[in-house]
Amino acid sequence: MTRLLQALREAGVLLLVATALGFIYTAATEKGLFARPAPTLPANTAGLLAPTMVTRDQAHAYFNSGKALFIDARHDFDYKLGHIRGAINIPLSIYQTKKAVLDTIPKNRLIVAYCDGAECNSSIEVSVKLAKEGYTDVKIFFGGWREWMESNLPIDKSP
Amino acid sequence: MKKLLSHPYTVLVTRVFIGLLFVFSSLDKIVDPSAFAQSVANYGLLPSSFPAIIATVLPWVELLCGFAVFFGVSLRGSSLLLSAMVVIFTLAVMSALLRGLDISCGCFTQDPAAGHIGWTKVVQNTALFALTLFLYFSRTTKFTLVEYLQKSGTLQSQS
Repeated sequence: MTRLLQALREAGVLLLVATALGFIYTAATEKGLFARPAPTLPANTAGLLAPTMVTRDQAHAYFNSGKALFIDARHDFDYKLGHIRGAINIPLSIYQTKKAVLDTIPKNRLIVAYCDGAECNSSIEVSVKLAKEGYTDVKIFFGGWREWMESNLPIDKSP
Repeated sequence: MKKLLSHPYTVLVTRVFIGLLFVFSSLDKIVDPSAFAQSVANYGLLPSSFPAIIATVLPWVELLCGFAVFFGVSLRGSSLLLSAMVVIFTLAVMSALLRGLDISCGCFTQDPAAGHIGWTKVVQNTALFALTLFLYFSRTTKFTLVEYLQKSGTLQSQS
């Protein structure tokens, strides 16, 4: 009987430690129970073409085609440290002040918006704004700066 | 029987086998709790929020108990916990089979391409249950971390 009690006590401690470790780990890594919901995009509604997500390979293909305009939605100091070659900087926080820049972009221009990577949503928010303003061909490169960097694709640095 | 239960090599081999088995089976689940939660949900036995909680905790119980059995620390508690878990897993598999569910086990790998559950799983689990029970009743501390620490004087001998 004492043997069973001792075993039950040990099992209880193991269970408690495992529960604590499990919750700490999944919370810290934002997996499983603590996973963030996948970002949702507005559906295509009449007269509004919702932006679509593109992979790194697709983004790279658009880059190579030379027809795409890359929009960097990060803060300007991040942009200055390095950005996708040829990208222009339209941070989400000061989107409204960039009207003059935006007015120079034709509405049917292929636009690829990006930000840091999976941890940020500003590429989505910027592209939704663009789509609402009538841009018809907006893509979101959700892998963003991080994926582009990791693949050693062409970048620029501002002085 | 008494002799077998206190035979150092039989117990050692069983400990190493069971320990490694549970440590390895926990890794895939820890890496991808969402996939494991889906596997648990596929059994259709639990309300919707439970699989995510199980996927958070259970892999860590397997990992800790696997290590505990491997090193012979809290051997009784961990083998008791493992045998209880094996019984629950087996009941779940049996109920799924009886209900005619064609689902993957989610036991060792979360790869959806892995084979689906069958009665062989029940037989395997019964063997596993026998081995974990064997460890629970085993009466030797030979080749365990506890024995090593006792010998080196770090731990006071309990018996």
